[in-house]
Amino acid sequence: MSALPSSTIVEATSVTRQFQMPAGPVFAVRDLSLTIAAGAYTAIQGPSGCGKSTLLHILGCVDTPSSGSLTFDGQDVARLRDHARSLLRLRQIGFVFQRFYLLPMLTAAENVELPQAEAGVSKPTRLERSRELLEYVGLAARAGHRPSQLSGGEMQRVAIARALANRPRLLLADEPTGELDQATGEHVAALLDRVNADGTAVVVVTHDSALASRARRVLTMKDGRIDRETTA
Amino acid sequence: MIVLILAAVLGAASLASAQTTDLPTILVTRQLAERERLAVGDTVQLAREADGANPGTFRIAGIYEPVPDPMRLGQAPLEIRLHLPDLQGLTRNPATPVGAERVDQINITLVDPADAEQFADDINGRTAGVFAMRATDAGGSRETFLVLERFHYAIATVTIIAATVFLLALTIMLVDERRETVGVLRLIGLPARRILMQVFIEGVLIAAAGALFGLLLAIACESLLNRFFQWRYDTALVFVRISPRVAATCVAIAVPLGAAATVVASWALLRRSGLRLARR
Repeated sequence: MSALPSSTIVEATSVTRQFQMPAGPVFAVRDLSLTIAAGAYTAIQGPSGCGKSTLLHILGCVDTPSSGSLTFDGQDVARLRDHARSLLRLRQIGFVFQRFYLLPMLTAAENVELPQAEAGVSKPTRLERSRELLEYVGLAARAGHRPSQLSGGEMQRVAIARALANRPRLLLADEPTGELDQATGEHVAALLDRVNADGTAVVVVTHDSALASRARRVLTMKDGRIDRETTA
Repeated sequence: MIVLILAAVLGAASLASAQTTDLPTILVTRQLAERERLAVGDTVQLAREADGANPGTFRIAGIYEPVPDPMRLGQAPLEIRLHLPDLQGLTRNPATPVGAERVDQINITLVDPADAEQFADDINGRTAGVFAMRATDAGGSRETFLVLERFHYAIATVTIIAATVFLLALTIMLVDERRETVGVLRLIGLPARRILMQVFIEGVLIAAAGALFGLLLAIACESLLNRFFQWRYDTALVFVRISPRVAATCVAIAVPLGAAATVVASWALLRRSGLRLARR
């Protein structure tokens, strides 16, 4: 973990996310402010339903706050149209989900290649980059396998490789070890450490204390707010 | 040679051994020749009355396939064609002076059928007591076919509307099956417009392939259907014809419709967030 926070990548100011439900409005995130610096490693913890994942989705520009503002690299995300927000996600943000979300009809290498192809990377370059990334996550030998032929840990590692495909500045991981056994989870956690050490800011939402303890900054949420913050 | 169509066979009998070269000649339809086992060169006797009294003897000079008439579908065209003087001689009442016969209708074949309108106008303008018209306008057949044509248009319109609804429902189901994939693509950062374009191209290709398959099936069935009904009604009438215009119309309707159905179905999906789609 050599990288140190320097410039701000994401800044959320007084962000609130409210969902309209039949029984009345539910506040997943309430008046929350947060800054993620370049190269930072942040873990978000808290009980189920406290708004961790919602906050992560807002930081990753896949969800929009009901009020408050979010800036990414100084750009007000609310002012960006869907197309620009999609391209921001494609080029600057990598996502890793608990359920992997790999495309089942593509091989591991093709899954890694896809975001690069969409970002306009030439075929030889993206083939080389996909090979490198699969080697990076220790799956070079499984490049031609489809997700159904991979174990849970392998699928998550492919998902991490895919998330890193366009060299994002920010990697967001939502319960990345949630569906993995302890040993495999350790392996994935070590991989996230390495990603962060190589300069990518990482924000991980997790129930796993062991994984959270690897982060330099741990935020504990309660009722949509940051209840406690500890820094290593 | 002006030819008259005699609608009913007056009587026919083969006289195979007669000296025939100087006999007046007639043409018989293929159907009549087959039914009565007649051949070119045979001689037959024709009479005006059903009892065969006062027959005339004729030599069969040829067998012809009658022009198919959809108005007489199912009726075997048992017809013969005679030279006009022979017909007059055969049908004249002995009490009627020569030249006093009446001819109700004459069909005239023009070298260029497109001249029919002009020719009819010309005749009508020059000859009093003669009314010329296109054969297709005679006997109200045109009105009948106009009604049939409108009926076909109505059936085609209802079929297209029903097929569109069915296609849209099918496309929505197919697109919905891919909602997780679409959700993942959205989460990765593919813009909705980009996914929509891909789906549109896919829709156009599938619709074009479908249209092509439909056309090939129709062309294959065209021959089968025609052969079956031509056999069934013993006619040379063409029942189904896939002309280039029909084919072009089919493609012009099918491809945009298929592509539009795919885009409409996908658009409904793409308006939802990638997270909701991926979570299923």
